[in-house]
Amino acid sequence: MTLQVYTASLLKEGLVAYLCIDTEGSYWSTDLNKAATAETDQAETLKSLAEQAERENIVIAAYAVDVELTENGTRPLENRERIRAYGPTITLPQSSDTKQAIVRAA
Amino acid sequence: MGNFIKDRKPQDDPWTPYTGLEDVDNLPTGDVYVPFEEWQSQKEALKLRNNRLGVILENTDDVAELVPDFDRLDLVVLQFPKMADGRAFTQAKLLRERYGYTGEIRAVGDVLHDQVFYMQRCGFNAFEMRPDQDIPTVLHAFDEMTVTYQPSADEELPIWRR
Amino acid sequence: MYQYSQDDHQLLQERVSQFRDQVSRRLKGDLSEDEFKQQRLRNGLYLQLHAYMLRVAVPYGLLSSEQMRTLAHIARTYDRGYGHFSTRQNIQYNWPKLEDVPKILDDLAAVEMHAIQTSGNCIRNTTSDPLAGVARDEIADPRPYCELIRQWSTFHPEFNFLPRKFKIAVSGAIHDRAAVAVHDIGIRLIKKDAGELGLEIYVGGGLGRTPMIGKLIRDFLPPHDMLTYLEAILRVYNKLGRRDNLYKARIKILVHETGEEKFRELVEAEWQEVKESKLRLRDEDIKNIQAHFKDPDYENLSDFDSDFDKELISDPDFAKWADNNLELHKQDGYRVVYLSLKSKNQPTGDVTADQMDAIADLADKYSHGAIRSTHRQNLVLSDVRLKDLHSLWGELKTLDLATPNYNHLTDIISCPGMDYCALATARSIPIAQALTERFDTYDYVNDLGDISLNISGCINACGHHHVANIGILGVNKKGVEVYQITLGGSAREDASIGKIIGPAFTADKIVQAIADLLDVYLENREDPEETFLTAYRRLGPAPFKEKLYG
Ligand code: SF4
Repeated sequence: MTLQVYTASLLKEGLVAYLCIDTEGSYWSTDLNKAATAETDQAETLKSLAEQAERENIVIAAYAVDVELTENGTRPLENRERIRAYGPTITLPQSSDTKQAIVRAA
Repeated sequence: MGNFIKDRKPQDDPWTPYTGLEDVDNLPTGDVYVPFEEWQSQKEALKLRNNRLGVILENTDDVAELVPDFDRLDLVVLQFPKMADGRAFTQAKLLRERYGYTGEIRAVGDVLHDQVFYMQRCGFNAFEMRPDQDIPTVLHAFDEMTVTYQPSADEELPIWRR
Repeated sequence: MYQYSQDDHQLLQERVSQFRDQVSRRLKGDLSEDEFKQQRLRNGLYLQLHAYMLRVAVPYGLLSSEQMRTLAHIARTYDRGYGHFSTRQNIQYNWPKLEDVPKILDDLAAVEMHAIQTSGNCIRNTTSDPLAGVARDEIADPRPYCELIRQWSTFHPEFNFLPRKFKIAVSGAIHDRAAVAVHDIGIRLIKKDAGELGLEIYVGGGLGRTPMIGKLIRDFLPPHDMLTYLEAILRVYNKLGRRDNLYKARIKILVHETGEEKFRELVEAEWQEVKESKLRLRDEDIKNIQAHFKDPDYENLSDFDSDFDKELISDPDFAKWADNNLELHKQDGYRVVYLSLKSKNQPTGDVTADQMDAIADLADKYSHGAIRSTHRQNLVLSDVRLKDLHSLWGELKTLDLATPNYNHLTDIISCPGMDYCALATARSIPIAQALTERFDTYDYVNDLGDISLNISGCINACGHHHVANIGILGVNKKGVEVYQITLGGSAREDASIGKIIGPAFTADKIVQAIADLLDVYLENREDPEETFLTAYRRLGPAPFKEKLYG
């Protein structure tokens, strides 16, 4: 059995997001640590919420990602998903006066 | 009125597609179009009918083979099995430009808002839009672009010669 | 440079409105993602690993300083302050928001730029020699032909839904700097002994899963017949290209499966039908377009400049750079200058907005306001006076654009790899950086001489690894990134596909493996004039294999 979260890209922004659930319902966050986790065989609810969000044009290309829980938070098992979650592994070029905020999940 | 556009106007479609063509006498009355294969095997009998005739081609059929029958064919139907399959563009262009067909060229299948501009440029003048398409907005798509570079069915010269 | 007509401007504006409408239909939910994808791709908009990516066309690699400033503005305003020049001479932004893209397109349209057909299964932006019009070895200027192809292929109604993407490159010089052999169609301008101009037409080159060198299917086509001939090739491809299997849909497979001879016959037969059509170029059609590409007002200068010579002697660092990053110019007293986008401090091909602005200023100051991008992911200032070189170099140095490594080991082509790309199987930028770090000594790199090292992060081969002297392909082996080495490729006039040398290396071993290969070359070359590629072709893979795998 593997622990899973659901991920997708936000339609408007294109950014990587994770399906989260709180007392008021479900929402999407760029912070993997907030993502709702479920064992593979219990991920049905997450799956249907993710698909619903696709139908509602909130996100695109939703799918499940295998993760583990560590001291530092939720961690994807695959390299590709870690890069998606934490951002490029290289130092990004910097310019002055850049307007777009660099918001990434830590 | 359904999902049919001809000559840039929503219209009723007078044509009946017909596929089970064993017996020419059993055809429905009115204007019918038949698959290319049937057309080839039965065209002499079909031509005796008092109605208009059309033919529907597969993407692999050669439009040149219709040339001898142009005077009896009022409709050629070309298919878009999926949006990304662009073979029918070539078929339409050859029909109109190379062989000078003047009857109706109709697009069926995955016929969507964002393709009709290209289709009309290749010589299509009739469109069975996929049922989910919003006909009033599709009608604008014909004029979304007014500048064209290439010679095509709707334009004789390339832009650098106009 | 080509100057837009009123029609060209209008076309861009209409295209922006059309795309704005498509975006709004998508956001409202009237357009499904599947269908929108077909539309956004035809406008250069991908969904990548972290965000959308917008690929902006740089038609055959030509940019004005004004356009460069707009690219900087876009990077700052709608992105994260930088852009990436790709092997298709285009520029990519990695972080645009969907809702901002129409605004970006507005800004681009204002300076005659766009993202039309930079992706999708249609005819892509035509690429060319970055030295077009200034190269000393030029036979004829390819730019007018590129521009004619641009006009013919833009929104071509018949060829916008091809079996697969379609790339055309044109070169007009003795040396091929446009990699024509690995394009769906490659065109080389040649002259017969009597001076008559013609085109060699290569079809079915390409990289990716099944790398192939293009086949020469016409050895001397009159230039007037270029577009009718292209039309014939594309029509044959649109009719017969495979649509049942994504990996077999490129024209190279059609040529391969049909057979070169038969394919040529099909094209020639189709061409007979169209060769006299209105697409046939008349003398005046070619002349009118050529008029857009007039030389700037060159000064009458000597190719000997005493100050330049003194500077070379007094400033060894300048001499190193001048030795490697300059190219002769057809006009005496001028040089072509390569701006290296291969510094060790920044990913291959990346340029910050600040650098873009500065490059625009330098272009205005030193090179008639013109900039070019190259398929090896560098930039070029094409018309610099000898006497200006030293001061230009000084300014480039402060911008970190003067690494003296053009066509040398650390002039690495690298695709974005898994740091950005949704299709990647491994990272490529960190490998490029590790190599650049390791081989950061001018003398060593210079001693190696002319060599190419290219890296791709998956088999799609955007990093052109197959046609590098040393190619590196990143793959995923049971969750671990490993790197496969190919040797002996070339993208030039002697084009060839590299061969895999043996089992792949992990990321921590690949740099040493490359160092070992270079040792084999240095130990075995006949003299310093013998390049890595020539030595490899002479020696064969055996000594290299021996060194790597014992
Ligand atoms: S080669 Fe692969 S990883 Fe690199 S950019 Fe192309 S698709 Fe992405």
